[in-house]
Amino acid sequence: MDVRAQLVMVFNLDKCIGCHTCSISCKNIWTDRKGAEYMWWNNVETKPGVGYPKKWENQEKFKGGWLREGGKLKLRAMGKGPTLFNMFFQPNMPKLDDYYEPFDFDYSNLYKAPPGSDQPVAEAFSQVSGERIEKITGGPNWDDDLSGSQVYAVEDSNLEDNTLVADYGRMFMHYLPRICNHCLNPACAASCPSRAIYKRGEDGVVLVDQEVCKGWRFCTSACPYKKVYFNWQSGKAEKCIFCFPRTETGQCNACAHSCVGRIRHVGVLLYDADRVEEALLKPDDQLVAAHRDVIMDPHDPAVREAARKNGVSDQWLEAAEKSPVYALVKEFAVALPLHPEFRTMPMAYYIPSLSPVISSGGDLHELADHGTFPLLEKMRAPISFLASLLSGGNQEIIADILRKQIALRLFKRADNLGQPVEESILKNAGLDEAGANRLYRLFTIAPYRERNVIPTQQREEQDSNQRKGASGFGILKKTRGTK
Amino acid sequence: MLNSFIFIVLPYAALALVIFVTPYRFFSNRLTWSAYSTQFLESKTLFWGINPWHYGIIPVLAAHFLGVVAPGPLKVFLGNQTNLVVIESIGLALGLFAVFGCLVLLLRRVNTPLLKRVTFASDWVLLYLLLTQALTGVYIATFMRWGSQWYLHTAVPYLWSLASFNPQIEYMTDFPLVFKLHVACAFLIVALLPFTKLVHLLYIPVHYLMDPPILYRWRTK
Repeated sequence: MDVRAQLVMVFNLDKCIGCHTCSISCKNIWTDRKGAEYMWWNNVETKPGVGYPKKWENQEKFKGGWLREGGKLKLRAMGKGPTLFNMFFQPNMPKLDDYYEPFDFDYSNLYKAPPGSDQPVAEAFSQVSGERIEKITGGPNWDDDLSGSQVYAVEDSNLEDNTLVADYGRMFMHYLPRICNHCLNPACAASCPSRAIYKRGEDGVVLVDQEVCKGWRFCTSACPYKKVYFNWQSGKAEKCIFCFPRTETGQCNACAHSCVGRIRHVGVLLYDADRVEEALLKPDDQLVAAHRDVIMDPHDPAVREAARKNGVSDQWLEAAEKSPVYALVKEFAVALPLHPEFRTMPMAYYIPSLSPVISSGGDLHELADHGTFPLLEKMRAPISFLASLLSGGNQEIIADILRKQIALRLFKRADNLGQPVEESILKNAGLDEAGANRLYRLFTIAPYRERNVIPTQQREEQDSNQRKGASGFGILKKTRGTK
Repeated sequence: MLNSFIFIVLPYAALALVIFVTPYRFFSNRLTWSAYSTQFLESKTLFWGINPWHYGIIPVLAAHFLGVVAPGPLKVFLGNQTNLVVIESIGLALGLFAVFGCLVLLLRRVNTPLLKRVTFASDWVLLYLLLTQALTGVYIATFMRWGSQWYLHTAVPYLWSLASFNPQIEYMTDFPLVFKLHVACAFLIVALLPFTKLVHLLYIPVHYLMDPPILYRWRTK
């Protein structure tokens, strides 16, 4: 047993309102730089939709993630040999067009424009070439809220039946905020010929060593989530750093901290590194169960002993016990990995969104016998869609979680109205009253320190001379002349 | 005068720069150590430039090195007329391939507005230098036949004499100007290597081939 600690984020999609506050706070801190204008380490997508970069889920196009082949895991794109022969021209690389051409507006025109009969406007210009852009044709959330679009939403690869988006009576949508998943089996790291991408042993954060990266670009396509970006100015790869300068001091990640809907939870998970590969070799629909198996119980003395051997401190073990992430992912089993079938074992988990409560009129929206929610099979967002997104196609897992969410709402509704609570509703969903109250608290009124339990890192163990100036992403030296 | 400059001053200056500037750049600012790929901004034309260039120039460059390292066995091998003709033809074809690639890369920089911001003086200097180098190489291969053979009897002993700090430039002085240009360009390129994106030549993925797929870094271990 090789027990290690990992900092993990959970997103409650049921609560995300798609306000993009997370994206903006991340942008302001980390990617407001030359060459990084188009990067959104944190972005929010509308589902169904094509996302950012466009069609990132289509692995036929970008060849990201891992495949099972002959009882082994293999990068989908290419092996080590072909990598060496494709270094000059990387065939699968996402280009600027797949994201969007970053733009800004020339506000100086508002006061510099010569007198004329028209009101002057701030014209758009490209942040790459500096040239004027006649018509902006893309942005990081270009298909925002367009879940009924015949241009964008129909292209969503998770839709079993894409005529659904055209049916106004049955349209649905939810938001999908995404950061780097800091995977246990990161394909980006495995694809890097320079060995610049590494996983930090202590907290599992995946980082690109800017000094070692030489810009071979294999990581940008190997990551199936397209969360490694190429900085066109510095010629190197960059990615979400899980705000490690913040988390090391016990502060919450900027995206989670600024979340208006308070949908995010950050905490510690303990996992058994010895069993990761074996788990990833399971068939698609068993991957979620395999994920849960790899996550260890922080209360188990044997696990704690093994973790201590790996240098996990008592402070971290305590945080692991109190971890809201452990509660959501393993105890209540309501949070799921995004596209587990990419086989990178992502360490960001999502609580699927419950479809909106809708009018009881019409044959489309038949209500269940308890009268306030539609039948599971008649939910607006098809279970198959959520299963394709979050459980490798296993619809039973999604149904289980939706049942829990419905039961919880019915339970609290009755509680609030002072009505008797039907025990069977909770029991059928696999919950009890104490558990339901805890889950309710986590979902709704839990304050900052309950939603996020982030242990500080033992900085005193480190050589302070080495540490000096090494925190944060700050590039203090010149990467290249700017124009 | 010109001969001493090209065959004595230039090579030693280039060597000194590589030996002293390369480690300085490596230790002082590795953030500039990149191949500076522009594939992200423009990829359609790049395909037709970057692949012919690299796949043309790498074998030709390797052959030049092989001549220096193992002149004896090569002399024996090229003593066979068939071998000589085959090697010369392959070399010329690869050279033309490289010239084509280099031309495409040059025209691409000229014609793509998006690349304006990432094109610096060093990019132009390198492109023109490499194009000159490839063009003079092709010229020599075409009009001064059997270079793979006479290279071993002229340039190779000269390069060894450089290495032993006893430069014997008489091996080189009687060659026509175009050959001297080829040599001068070569030394210039070596001299520019530590200052430009050419440092990507100094990278060999040894660790990558041997390491397990996922790399861990522990602060405490």
